[in-house]
Amino acid sequence: MFGISPDGRAGMEDAADETLRAGATAEAYGRWLSGAYASDLAARGPRKSFRTDVGIEIAPLYTPADLDRIGFDYGRDLGFPGAYPYTRGDRAGMFRTESFVVSAYAGFGDGEVCNRRFKRLLGIGAEQILVALDLPTQCGYDSDHEMAAAEVGQVGVAIDTLADMEALFRGIPVDTVKRVGTLGNSIGPIVLALYAALGEKQGIAWKDYTVNLQNDPLKEYIARGTQILPAEPAARLACDAVTWCINSAPHWSPMTVCANHINAGGAGASMALSIALANALHYIDLMLAQGHAIDDVAPLIHMFPDERHDFYISVATLRALRRIWARLMKERYGATRGEALALQTTVYGHGQESLQEPLNNIVRTAFGTLAYVLGGASYVYLAGYDEAVSTPGEESMRVALRTLQIIANEHGLADAIDPMGGSYLIETLTAEVETQILDGLAEIERNGGALAVIDTGYGRRLMTDGAVRRQRAIDSGERPWITVNQWPVKPNVPNTAFRGDPEATARQLRRLAEVKAGRDGARVKALLSDIDRACAEGRNCTSAVLDAVRAYATVGEICQVWRDRFGLFTPSTDF
Amino acid sequence: MTGRRLRVLIAKVGLDGHDVGARVVARGLLDAGMEVIYTGLRRTPEQIARAAIEEDVDWIGISLLSGAHRILVPRIRKLLDESGAGDIRLIVGGIIPQEDVPELEAVGVARVFLSGTPIAEIVEFLKQTRTDAQNA
Repeated sequence: MFGISPDGRAGMEDAADETLRAGATAEAYGRWLSGAYASDLAARGPRKSFRTDVGIEIAPLYTPADLDRIGFDYGRDLGFPGAYPYTRGDRAGMFRTESFVVSAYAGFGDGEVCNRRFKRLLGIGAEQILVALDLPTQCGYDSDHEMAAAEVGQVGVAIDTLADMEALFRGIPVDTVKRVGTLGNSIGPIVLALYAALGEKQGIAWKDYTVNLQNDPLKEYIARGTQILPAEPAARLACDAVTWCINSAPHWSPMTVCANHINAGGAGASMALSIALANALHYIDLMLAQGHAIDDVAPLIHMFPDERHDFYISVATLRALRRIWARLMKERYGATRGEALALQTTVYGHGQESLQEPLNNIVRTAFGTLAYVLGGASYVYLAGYDEAVSTPGEESMRVALRTLQIIANEHGLADAIDPMGGSYLIETLTAEVETQILDGLAEIERNGGALAVIDTGYGRRLMTDGAVRRQRAIDSGERPWITVNQWPVKPNVPNTAFRGDPEATARQLRRLAEVKAGRDGARVKALLSDIDRACAEGRNCTSAVLDAVRAYATVGEICQVWRDRFGLFTPSTDF
Repeated sequence: MTGRRLRVLIAKVGLDGHDVGARVVARGLLDAGMEVIYTGLRRTPEQIARAAIEEDVDWIGISLLSGAHRILVPRIRKLLDESGAGDIRLIVGGIIPQEDVPELEAVGVARVFLSGTPIAEIVEFLKQTRTDAQNA
């Protein structure tokens, strides 16, 4: 047992003494709470609500009695960084040996114009580039498709073929960046193939660079909305991309199972992670059923937690998630490799950005990001201060990267590993959040698992309920939001907000037409048939997709093969 | 209130998949006693105009955040007018730059609500507009 010695230092104490002291603390705390604190509260009233977004009520004070209440055991619950259960960090050295990876999520227009921005971002210290794709690309439509009208290059860069990737990374060898990647949630094998073929074009071996994908289709059906196929085949295709990596590029991270959009959509951080974990377990089970070993599968999966409302809950969430992952992998699947047990996390620094006075979002996102860093995140992105308004501009991306560099290098913020570990507050919240996440996961599994969350409408209902609750908390002022419900200012989307560039669209359509005219059409057709055959026979289709991508088949053509084979998802009209 | 309840179609047009705002508004209008239908994601202007006419709605609330409003909203208005459904009125919600607001109003959008507008404000607008029409 972990005790607090009279001089305030931690040490091993004898158990009887321990109980007595914890009891004494609990009693003393009770006296303070009903005495001095209560009379101050009666005199002045509470300043605000102390209920967090995940529903946990923050107590006035946390003491050793709380550790006793949660049954805190240092050896069992914390251990050391880089050692089971990884609560204190996935690596031993953490940010003392290597900072979290300073990452940029960017993309707009066409490959040519976006390439110039990438070069500038890399020039000011971005270590990882995650390409934001435009909506037609993400939804499997080429730029010349009628569904792409008005959306080409708008919220991301337009990618129709390998030629666009070549333009996008012209003069940026992929082995000079720590990781390159994209979300590509509904087109996982295609984006994987695009990056694999890009390396070949640049003459760089797969072992010499690292590709990171989100490739998590299941959350799209309830949260983000780029789904193309029914959920069941979509999950299998995502796993195809992962298992291709086991054999060909085992150090890539081809799947980042994501709670971000589920939380943003209203579920709350803990329930969003319950759903994301259910999704992760669904993917894992599919891959194990194909005969892969957990020690080969788990290291290729990262997770993307998200908590943007409450700072301390955010720190607790990352610590709880690593602990949950390690225990699940070990106890449920029998994983033994450190890489399979130690979860790497990607986070996106948010902080309830407002349309009003966007510069204030710099402060909000910095605090939100600091919480993630204190929680030990591996890869960190940060929202541009104008991101609530539109696709971020150059200056806001620069400020975002500089903010990450400041957090990594100034103030000594990242000098000690897991600096909040051992705090009465943080350990209590970590245990409480862990319980919330595990309870949610158990409930999902009782009700049929990840696919049932989508099929029964449970996920969407949960999110709408949560979003309505959040909106009420803002409308009523319970959740203070500066410039929105406190010192309110009229919202405004300035005319300087990013606008799609018709010239970039025209260039994109020209390039697509040139590629189609210049390629071997008959060969592309044959390779598209190979993809269909692999899908029909239940084989991994990633190699066939890679061959088609090398021959300049388009994203839309490959998706059409899947749409014809598996059918389309049916949009839910529930609200 | 006299006559039937207000009927509103909440619509997601184009590829933008963020529909939380649309669903929260749909819930809010329902709670305020209106009849509400939601189209679901990724509908074409044609599908939206057709659904509005079939469902005999008074209003369409179009939600979009991807910046495609200048093309897609006028298209919905035009399709309604061509089908003799000029009496179905439009409101738009989402991320709309300031200078686009008059442009949308010029093609017949009654009001643009930016993201984060309190639901009560939207409810109030729809009810007030009806009262004004009845008193006209």
